[in-house]
Amino acid sequence: MSDAMAISRSGLDVEWQRLQVIAQNLANLNTSRTASGDPYRPMRVISGPDATFADALARKGAVSQPGPVRVLGVEAMPGGVRRVYDPSDPSAGADGFVNLPAIDQASEMTLMIRTSRSYEANLTALAIERQMFSSALNLGRSS
Amino acid sequence: MSAIAAIDSVLATPPALNTLGPVAAAPQPAASFGDILSAGMQGVEGKLATADDMVRKFTLDPNVPIHQVTFALEQARLSVELAMQVRGRLLDGYRELMNMQL
Repeated sequence: MSDAMAISRSGLDVEWQRLQVIAQNLANLNTSRTASGDPYRPMRVISGPDATFADALARKGAVSQPGPVRVLGVEAMPGGVRRVYDPSDPSAGADGFVNLPAIDQASEMTLMIRTSRSYEANLTALAIERQMFSSALNLGRSS
Repeated sequence: MSAIAAIDSVLATPPALNTLGPVAAAPQPAASFGDILSAGMQGVEGKLATADDMVRKFTLDPNVPIHQVTFALEQARLSVELAMQVRGRLLDGYRELMNMQL
């Protein structure tokens, strides 16, 4: 029981963290300056199966076990800066342009919906697994 | 060389076929029935302690995701349910034997 449930739980963990990073991207939509002085860089959660290449080699072609997912890392997205002319901004350069992160708001929202749906799907899988466990408990029960 | 042979065996079997094999036969347990029972009860106790721990952590630390708490609670509930079912079946069997007409 715990194997399928643990897999669903790992999916919940990953999607939760993905949502946190999307929220961070949206909150920093207009961040022109971070601690390093550069504009904010949009981040993405990279997730993948929680198994190493050594595991796959050690299995030597035996029946592959389903395994959980995990966050492999949070990476900055490649992308330029959005230059906006605003001389009144304190962070504007000598030419009057402010460097803002080039975050695509529509794609962030799309990814957020997808994250939410994936989270729901994991919850549904968890509910079905629980239901299967409960009905297996009633096996052989006459009443 | 043996590692290359291992990769060959992976390539030989279609991936769709080796994902779902027959359930491997469980090794014959050498432990007695009482040992198995007490080990199961210890597992239930461990899950209850984990759930307790998660609730405490959630109240103290707002960064704990809520699904981890509910997952721990649900798992504890299911393992208690399983323990109660095992107890019920055992008791049923015992009663059946005690009521046997000699």
